[in-house]
Amino acid sequence: MTGKILGAVAAGVALGFFLLPGWVLDYTDLIIDIGLMLLLFFVGIDIGMNRSVFGRIRNMGLKIILLPIMIIMGSILGAAIAGTLLGMPFNESGAVGAGLGWYTLSSILMANYSNELSTLAFIANVVREVMAFIIIPLVAKKIGFLEAISPAGATAMDTGLPIISRATDSETAILAFITGAICTFSVPIIVPLILNL
Amino acid sequence: MGIRLLMYLAVILLGALIGAKVKIGEKLSGRLGSIQTACLLLLLMVMGIKIGMDREVINSFFSIGYSALVISVFTVGFSILGVILVSGYVTGGRK
Repeated sequence: MTGKILGAVAAGVALGFFLLPGWVLDYTDLIIDIGLMLLLFFVGIDIGMNRSVFGRIRNMGLKIILLPIMIIMGSILGAAIAGTLLGMPFNESGAVGAGLGWYTLSSILMANYSNELSTLAFIANVVREVMAFIIIPLVAKKIGFLEAISPAGATAMDTGLPIISRATDSETAILAFITGAICTFSVPIIVPLILNL
Repeated sequence: MGIRLLMYLAVILLGALIGAKVKIGEKLSGRLGSIQTACLLLLLMVMGIKIGMDREVINSFFSIGYSALVISVFTVGFSILGVILVSGYVTGGRK
């Protein structure tokens, strides 16, 4: 699956860069929205066919909240360490990591602070999203289903969810949606917070 | 974002309702899996097209791509490590 995903993304980038005319860009968001809705509908069907998952998730209770917390903390810590290696202030690189894959918002949140950092936040979070698409099936297979939610971050509730659902099971898909939603709502709070440290 | 979240939730719930009420045979279920994979790959290709057509993203990638890549690798790596630390506790030891 990882190879197919990598191939699809690479083919798309090459088509967009070398071949397709500019007007196609006017329709990409619409196509992505329709495709995403269709895939989320399929995720729903999978969940509906495995109703026993709700009982298991209920048993986990509030422990579920640890997943987004660890993803947020890991993302910020990882980015801060990477930034230190790259010679960046830890709060700036940490804030880039706190974007959790939501590239549009994280770059907007940093626009007033610095244009350079805003661009870096955009690109780093685009890279995170693409990286997530590619490694989610690999992480699910080699490490574990819950760990496969981590690379997606905030995108675990939208673009990352169909991949997580295909690579894991219905139970993990529900946990991914909850985790992604919490991460999504955290981004506008934690990015300015880390930036102002 | 709140409206978008509700929309996603509504679509998933609609699917779940249909999945729970309509009897879907093994053959159809397998076919749904293939359709899902095809849709997913198509969606990813369109997302790739969007990135490829954005000259600003491509140009920025060539100039700050290295830093972005290093930050992303560490971000993803440490978030996986974080979940490894708690996954056993969350699932109650079940894999």
